Amino acid sequence: MILNGVEIRDSFAEAFPMVGTRLIITADSPKWAMIAAKTMTGFATSVIGCGCEAGVERELAPEDTPDGRPGVAVLIFAMDIKGLKAVVPLRIGQCVLTSPTSACYAGMEGGDVVSIGKALRYFGDGWQIAKNVDGRRIWRVPVMEGEFVCDHESGTVSGVGGGNILILGTSRGEALAAAEVAVDAMQKVEGCILPFPGGIVRSGSKVGSKYKGMFASSNNAYCPTLRAQTETKLPPEVASVQEIVIDGVSFEAVSACTKAGIEALVALGRDKGVVAIDAGNYGGNLGPYHFKLREIMA
Amino acid sequence: MTGIVLTPRGAFDARVDLTGALPGAADLERLSIGYGFRRVALGELFAVSGSGADRLTIAGGLPLLDRVAAGLTAGELVVDGDVGAEFAKGATGGVAIVKGSAGAYAASELAGAKVVIGGDVGERLGAAGDGSRRGMSGGAVVVGGSAGLRAGERLRGGVVIVHGDAAEGAATDLIAGTFAVGGALAGPAGRGMKRGTLLLRAAEGLASGFGDAGEHDLVMLRVLVRRSQELASFLGKDVARARRFAGDLNVAGKGEALIVA
Repeated sequence: MILNGVEIRDSFAEAFPMVGTRLIITADSPKWAMIAAKTMTGFATSVIGCGCEAGVERELAPEDTPDGRPGVAVLIFAMDIKGLKAVVPLRIGQCVLTSPTSACYAGMEGGDVVSIGKALRYFGDGWQIAKNVDGRRIWRVPVMEGEFVCDHESGTVSGVGGGNILILGTSRGEALAAAEVAVDAMQKVEGCILPFPGGIVRSGSKVGSKYKGMFASSNNAYCPTLRAQTETKLPPEVASVQEIVIDGVSFEAVSACTKAGIEALVALGRDKGVVAIDAGNYGGNLGPYHFKLREIMA
Repeated sequence: MTGIVLTPRGAFDARVDLTGALPGAADLERLSIGYGFRRVALGELFAVSGSGADRLTIAGGLPLLDRVAAGLTAGELVVDGDVGAEFAKGATGGVAIVKGSAGAYAASELAGAKVVIGGDVGERLGAAGDGSRRGMSGGAVVVGGSAGLRAGERLRGGVVIVHGDAAEGAATDLIAGTFAVGGALAGPAGRGMKRGTLLLRAAEGLASGFGDAGEHDLVMLRVLVRRSQELASFLGKDVARARRFAGDLNVAGKGEALIVA
């Protein structure tokens, strides 16, 4: 399949089940809501090394937040509920509780629950106050600035992690520029995050390594400088590859996000240095979710 | 659907205990109710008309009617007039509305229903019943008029809003929950209060054990008005600031009275 000069390879992204939650972080200004959100979702690119994958889902207008202030929705995913329960209170406690004017609310209901105020209230050292309103418990933890307000807990969802696309470009600059355009389009899809820096991975990995104890290593088949030394999946005109990884609250959300990215890349076309779009997989035997590029674009 | 309508057949010469006369109750005409020292079939005192399980209306309510909506679990019970003691006592769900006034112990030990009293209410609104340790534990009560003695005594949870004045001893020994008064406090309010929140228009009438913690922008207020229609109507959608008094410090209480404009 070739669209606007861009080859859509007959490949698929292979993704895994993850458990996730959405949190709504608010503050007195959009600036401080975003600072808290980005700090809280920092160092959360891959469960391999970070224990979770997290990112900003979207900004929220004051009328769409629980306290009428500017807000940011973030999504956090872990491999299982136990992992999610471990990382969520830690990250909120270190990065949101500490961030000026912030508050933190549940962004979804249902499923198993992860603690917010249920765990963080103890920072109040006995001065914390609970309010039960309309069947929901909210906590007020006194802090030097005033009060930190948060929900008791948040619901969770069985999501999908590890959706991806690979952008094969004619140069490092063009591959990156194309990836940035794709990220802008993909971040508009609700229910998804792109957990890597700026949404982009320049070091996509394969499973395993020649070294013991390494779970993942450089995906040499897509490394342009190894073309003469290893089996390559890159045509001669490709000089750089960027990857975009997608985690989402459902198969449909990740699929829509994948499509939005491919459409944006196709719109750029071969003239802007996009040679082909590929996807990372492990042969189809590891992850139950397969995002087939050509079916998505059919 | 208008639901079932109960209409008094005539004037009563004794108090009437309407325990069990609830939306969805089977065979209301034969329901045994208290009438003075006797028990009679409800149909002897009220004409029963209409149909439907979701709504029950008492046309021509009187202060002689006790325990109306007591134990309500679902549906809507509306009284066109007044009611006597223990209106909606112990109700756990549904909506109970009296367009007139209610007697003592209204919403006492409420645990989840929404209760609206258009007029005044007698003593011990939302309080613990005689012999009980705890008052209302959940739900919401809105009183359009004023409340009698010791409203909210030993309140344990939920939201109580009195748009008018509160008589002596409001929120005495309050354990938790939210108690709002739009009018004046007649006497020492919040005495013995352990936790919970009083929402007031002025600090006059607070018990002496409250200490001034200054004025603050409280994010919690913004959340409350977005999660509770009752509090939104009392506080206004744009509320943000309040003067905070902590207490009752005489009993090491960790409650508060928030003075909102």
